Amino acid sequence: MTSAADPVIKATMLAKTFGATRALDGLDLNVAAGEVHGFLGPNGAGKSTTLRVLLGLIRPTSGVVRVFGLDPWRDPVNVHRDVAYVPGDVSLWPNLTGGEVIDLLTGLRGGADERLRRTLIEDFDFDPKRKARAYSKGNRQKAALIAAFARPARLYLLDEPSAGLDPVMDTVFRSQIRRVRDDGATVLLSSHILSEVEQLCDRVTIIRSGRAVETGSLAELRHLRRTHFRVEGGADPVRLAAIPGVQGVRANGTAVEFDADAADLAPVLAAVAAGGVSGLTVSPPSLESLFLRHYSDRNGQAR
Amino acid sequence: MPGVVRLALAQARRDRVLLPVWILGIALLGFVTATAVATEFDAESERAAIIGVAAVSPAFLFLRGLPDGTGIGAVVFFQGYAFTAVLAGLMSTFLVIRHTRADEELGREEIIGSLPVPRAAPLAATLLLGAAANLVLAASVAAGFAASGLPGTGAVTAGGAVGAVGVFFVAVAAAVAQVMPSGRSANGAAAGLVGAAYLLRGIGDAFGSPSADLTQVTSGWASLFSPIGWGQRSRPFSDADPVPLLVLTGAAAVVAVAVLVVRSRRDLGGSLLPERAGRERAGAGGTSFLGLAWRLQLPTLIGWCVGAAVLGALAGGLGPVVTDAVVGNESLKELIGRLVPGSRAEIIDVFTAALLGIAGVFAAAAGVQAVLRLRAEEVEGRAELLLAVPRSRARWLGANLVLAAASVTVVAAVAGTAAAVGLSLSGTGNPPGALLIGAALAHVPAAAVFLSATAVVFAAAPRLCIPVGWGLLAGGLILGQFGELLRLPSWVQDLSPFRHSAAMPVEPFDPAAALALTAVALLGAGIAVYLIRRRDLAA
Ligand SMILES: Nc1ncnc2c1ncn2[C@@H]1O[C@H](COP(=O)(O)OP(=O)(O)OP(=O)(O)O)[C@@H](O)[C@H]1O
Ligand SMILES: [Mg+2]
Repeated sequence: MTSAADPVIKATMLAKTFGATRALDGLDLNVAAGEVHGFLGPNGAGKSTTLRVLLGLIRPTSGVVRVFGLDPWRDPVNVHRDVAYVPGDVSLWPNLTGGEVIDLLTGLRGGADERLRRTLIEDFDFDPKRKARAYSKGNRQKAALIAAFARPARLYLLDEPSAGLDPVMDTVFRSQIRRVRDDGATVLLSSHILSEVEQLCDRVTIIRSGRAVETGSLAELRHLRRTHFRVEGGADPVRLAAIPGVQGVRANGTAVEFDADAADLAPVLAAVAAGGVSGLTVSPPSLESLFLRHYSDRNGQAR
Repeated sequence: MPGVVRLALAQARRDRVLLPVWILGIALLGFVTATAVATEFDAESERAAIIGVAAVSPAFLFLRGLPDGTGIGAVVFFQGYAFTAVLAGLMSTFLVIRHTRADEELGREEIIGSLPVPRAAPLAATLLLGAAANLVLAASVAAGFAASGLPGTGAVTAGGAVGAVGVFFVAVAAAVAQVMPSGRSANGAAAGLVGAAYLLRGIGDAFGSPSADLTQVTSGWASLFSPIGWGQRSRPFSDADPVPLLVLTGAAAVVAVAVLVVRSRRDLGGSLLPERAGRERAGAGGTSFLGLAWRLQLPTLIGWCVGAAVLGALAGGLGPVVTDAVVGNESLKELIGRLVPGSRAEIIDVFTAALLGIAGVFAAAAGVQAVLRLRAEEVEGRAELLLAVPRSRARWLGANLVLAAASVTVVAAVAGTAAAVGLSLSGTGNPPGALLIGAALAHVPAAAVFLSATAVVFAAAPRLCIPVGWGLLAGGLILGQFGELLRLPSWVQDLSPFRHSAAMPVEPFDPAAALALTAVALLGAGIAVYLIRRRDLAA
């Protein structure tokens, strides 16, 4: 069907409008086989909408989507054969027990791996005998996660999967992601939890207003950021400001603060050393600042 | 209680389209009936003739109510009251459950519960809204009657009789909402009580005793147990009497206070029917669309079957008895013989056919509800989980349509079987029991048309499918019950599928019509399956 080199998910210029709302507005998304791909963006950015398009639950207004090389709108059944999905808002059948829900969902996909099912129920400390009506939010989430993980899939589409899980259950969830990645599966993980993204994801895509504003490995993204310097001593602000890639130089008492392009720090270090240093703080670009900037930047300009 | 009025206004805002549609629809039905009677039965002698026939036909008494004189208003009230009261009851129960148990189940009441208002304030607000809605309904019905030229006192009393039944069911539904664990089960139970009120009145009226001139009938005791029967006792157009209506409203007030007390003492989400632990593993069939549909629909289906069994038993068991009670009246025998055409057996057949016709509507309703379950699955987000599996949407829809069609058949079969059993218990060998089962099943093709129409709307315009699905069924029912009376052109009456299925045992079975209806139903199902692939999943 597809060779290993083909991306598992390939979306090009994807647009989706709901009446006057443009939920997706020219989104590009590529997820390679075997990759755990973080999918981030502020509330209402279009993450859940993208996942629904990838499943063929809704039809894109324009653009091209391929999952395993297939068009999910035209051929949902064949796409779903190898997909496990956890929706962002897990709603279960109130009069079915958790165990019955898991059996229903895995059964419709072809049947659970019994050993996996048992371990998952144990690891997630889940009571499968209770009616879904009586489950807490976290327990509903667990039911959906167990149903997703209890049968191996080639692609896991997870929409804020750890929402509502306590920290212990969160580690169980993360170990499951590692397990499926080690089995060679691909994961698209929409999340608002940066530590989770940092720990699990090989690459990330950040979307805002239905458009990808950044995509790449975390290292690459960091690379694009500026490193923050605070130098105490005799550093010369004028000389520093003249170095290409240095910005926002300001003297602050005896200290000088500035941001430098992380790609080329050698001339900066030379200039700092030349002035004499009594104290030095260098902060790497934090993911948080990176994301916050994307999230809060309202003018639509990346970087 | 502080906050009640604000909450009631907020709830009214949610219902700003739905309630006016209900109220205007009911008032319009009254207005149209009144105008039709005034023009079609202009002469007193004509009205005396139909009232005379009605007074001694148990089928009429059961379905419509008590004749109460030969004035235009009296004829209108006789023809339309019982149905209008059922509609008022359903409007009220759906209104109350929507804002109480359904909201509670979906977690919406929790956020209200965190506001600085007493625990029972949302319920009190709903009761207030329900009372206000029924007041407006009463006024609208009265205005409709008055506009069609009926006397003022009668119009107001008749409006009051409809509104009082509505108010009573507001309180009853509020009580049901405390008992049942889910919105769906509460709606089912409350609507079932409305149906029971109609049936009890029907039994009482069918056992009624006609006056010497056959212009009035006094009902039997059974209708004392029915709020609809109480409303009827106000006799708006002969001897208007508000006391029964005051009794109804008073009873509603007592129930309402009790319910408020219960609510302020109970947990959020708590009900008198607690949840038990269930099975850890899905049984056989628990991993297929059809199995899931069966699991989800079973409790509802049982409810419909119980209703159908009661109706069927009445159709079979009551027919001979009431016919003898009415027609066998020695002092009136000669008069009746002239008025009512046909033999005793034929009168029984008319009664049976009429009730089994209602059973056909029941069966259709069970099917429509099974199809609308799909919409609930979609709106409440479970379809999203379900349709991410490697099965096509067509299979999902198809499985539910199969189950809906099976529900229709089962409900009809239960009604027919109960009728056959009832008939044999009442000791009448004619018509044969098997014929009654056939008579009930004869309505299945017509009922199937309704469920496939609902499915087409679900596939094409999902947001409309709940009002349109029920609206079509109500339309079919109204065409069937009022089409002749209103002298609607026959092509309009022919729009109702029920008109094309044979009213056995009065009419012979019509295989061609049954086949045509089945073909239409299958065509609709095919269109729905084709269309469902072509739309977004939409909340
Ligand atoms: N069925 C719908 N009808 C109308 N608008 C919709 C629909 N679904 C999504 N939207 C709109 O599309 C936009 C994207 O929504 P989406 O749910 O994809 O965001 P999200 O990135 O998942 O947000 P969150 O982080 O809050 O989950 C929002 O503005 C939302 O209001
Ligand atoms: Mg989302």
